[in-house]
Amino acid sequence: MDESSTIALGEKVRRAQRGDEAALRDLIVSYQHRIAGFTYAITGRSDSVEDISQMVFVKMARAIDRLKAPEQFESWLFRLARNTCIDHLRRQKLRRIFTPFAPEHENVPEPAGSVDSEELDALRHALDQLRPKDRALLALVQEGRSHAEIADSFKTSVAAVKARLHRAREQLKQFYNSDET
Amino acid sequence: MKPEDKAWNSLFVHGASRIRPGFPDRVLRATRAYASSPLFVSHFAMCAATAAVCLLAVALYNNRSSVEEDAKSLAGWNDVAAQAGELDTSL
Repeated sequence: MDESSTIALGEKVRRAQRGDEAALRDLIVSYQHRIAGFTYAITGRSDSVEDISQMVFVKMARAIDRLKAPEQFESWLFRLARNTCIDHLRRQKLRRIFTPFAPEHENVPEPAGSVDSEELDALRHALDQLRPKDRALLALVQEGRSHAEIADSFKTSVAAVKARLHRAREQLKQFYNSDET
Repeated sequence: MKPEDKAWNSLFVHGASRIRPGFPDRVLRATRAYASSPLFVSHFAMCAATAAVCLLAVALYNNRSSVEEDAKSLAGWNDVAAQAGELDTSL
């Protein structure tokens, strides 16, 4: 993101912090598709993408006034999205412990026609076998977030991020290749 | 572009395509509805206030009844002491 767009984004965020609903709406319009794509990469379920994305933006609207550095809005928003997705998956897992689904309701496949290419299907299956936190890490990097930004967001070192990323990439490659063969 | 990058790109595009038109308005409506519903904190405060009022009422009632009970017992002991005193002088 260049300097002028960072300044413009910061200004929009400040307006949203002051309660300007049009600015808030602009922010949602600007990021809705990226957040939806990111959410899909972590959860792997296209039928829950919109609900989770909505949850992310509602949380954003409720917490935006507490964001101290408006210029860092983007990394803050993706951190919020990552945490929301991981919470959603955790809740889903817990719910299944207490109210187990019938075998026919476990792992319901994606609706027909929802996956439009073999590559996408292979990546989706490979991601499905990773831990949610590793999927989120890979998706954050693929979204363009830098190692330093990720390290800063999760209060860890750049070296730790790189190590985890390397391990996640290796695992992904392994599952991706085994899916293709 | 690497094949994995192409697949990632399709993954993001596919996810993005799940957003139906009118999404920002739905989010804003949900935010407003959320803001007008009472927060967990206020529910908790209400419960705590009710519990405090009940405790206070129990403590007040207990205090009042024990004061009355003490007064009654003291009066009884006074009678007994007076009767014992009378008995002492008559002997």
